[in-house]
Amino acid sequence: MNFVQLHLLLNHFPIIGTLVGLGLLFISLSGKNDDLRRASLIIFLAMALLSIPTFFSGPGAEGAIKKLPGVSDELIERHHGAAMLALLFMEITGALALAALWQSREMPRPARWNRSMSAVLLFSIVTVGLMARVGNTGGDIRHPEIAPRKDGVTEELIISKIIHVFEPSPTKFAELMTASKWWWAFMMDLHFVGLVLLIGTVGILDLRVLGFARQIPLDPLHRLLPFAMAGFALNLVTGVLAFIGMDQYYTYDLAFWIKMLAIMLLGLNVAAFYLTGAFESVERMGAGDDAPPLAKFIAATSLFLWFAVITLGRYIQSFSDTISVHK
Amino acid sequence: MSLAPPLFLQTIEDTGLSTWLRESESPFAFYFILLFHTFGLALLVGANMIVDLRLLGFARGIPLAPLKRLFVIMWTGFAINAVTGILLVIAYPTKSLTNIDFYIKLALIGFAVWVMQRLQSQVFGEASLSKEAMTARGVALAKWSLVLWFGAITAGRLLAYTYKYLTYP
Repeated sequence: MNFVQLHLLLNHFPIIGTLVGLGLLFISLSGKNDDLRRASLIIFLAMALLSIPTFFSGPGAEGAIKKLPGVSDELIERHHGAAMLALLFMEITGALALAALWQSREMPRPARWNRSMSAVLLFSIVTVGLMARVGNTGGDIRHPEIAPRKDGVTEELIISKIIHVFEPSPTKFAELMTASKWWWAFMMDLHFVGLVLLIGTVGILDLRVLGFARQIPLDPLHRLLPFAMAGFALNLVTGVLAFIGMDQYYTYDLAFWIKMLAIMLLGLNVAAFYLTGAFESVERMGAGDDAPPLAKFIAATSLFLWFAVITLGRYIQSFSDTISVHK
Repeated sequence: MSLAPPLFLQTIEDTGLSTWLRESESPFAFYFILLFHTFGLALLVGANMIVDLRLLGFARGIPLAPLKRLFVIMWTGFAINAVTGILLVIAYPTKSLTNIDFYIKLALIGFAVWVMQRLQSQVFGEASLSKEAMTARGVALAKWSLVLWFGAITAGRLLAYTYKYLTYP
């Protein structure tokens, strides 16, 4: 598999997945179906997670086709800028969806509609629109038959021109990230702070499920998870900004990609925890109680994968240039 | 004003161990040591953070007394970092010992460990203390603990960006 194939495979998720999520959200508005509403939130969360490797596979795909005849650098830059703006809104939508899911757990009877849901609705509509633009501008790169062109330059609709005002310039953004070593040091420092927030809270929860410190009931440990979410958010932001600053460095690094795979697997692991009933089986665990095997397996996997993520992250530096450039 | 680095730094760098750590292409050399330094800090600061957050009033459902178990994790993390830290200094003695940021880091760690000791003995050390008494003693210590540890992490992270000499000039 090469970067072009990876990018073309993954890009379906943020573009079509979000549309499906939005469709389910609209349908759930009409009826009293809380399950559909919850499903739409889960889909937004999953698509937000998958958008990350999708975005990261772009520069590799660009590298593979840049020098081919008929490929315009300007069209690639346009698509890249559109992707950056869409990624921002996608991640905000995902964060809001996570907050709404978390809140609905806390309440004895989840509210049918509230401010969180309104925020998700608003941001997901904007995200779907921006993703449509990303898909469009992406297609324009290699499909001259669909883009109305005049003298080799594509003509844009008014709405596209308006959105374009808000799209960052990829080259300027990259330069901004690498302009000062103190900014880079600051971002890396925040990345470690996020790491500690995450490992501290998720780690103690996983250890309790596995049987360590049995005197502590599970529910209060679970209540610390918003700190883990804050840590993850911090690392997502600093990670994406670092990638934008040095995309060639990370793209051709095997450790970086395996780290991304580990993070996606962690997403699956979290889904398994909450959707298979494993959470329900441990949620009321008091002092001295033992967790069932499935919950322990999920907790062990979580610990293993987070330490793998730390390891792979640490080895990024020593694994630079481990993926060959062309292809 | 700039002084020449003392010669003993070069003596350390010329030893077999130091050279191997720096120049070996084995995945078990420098990056491995650095990785375990990260594991150690995750254990140490992660566990300490849980105790601190609880003392500051988050997740009040967690009973305070059992958190004493977490000190095992903290001291394990500290041990791992003491050992890996010494190895890292052996690998790059000039880089670390001529950098004032390194000394700031050691000072912050020193204070943070002192606070950790006091937490262990004064808050969790007396079995007869009530929860309220434990919390009262622990609040100030918990605040300092968080500040000092995140300061130490920052100082440590900045080492890569503040050194003057990578090896003996």
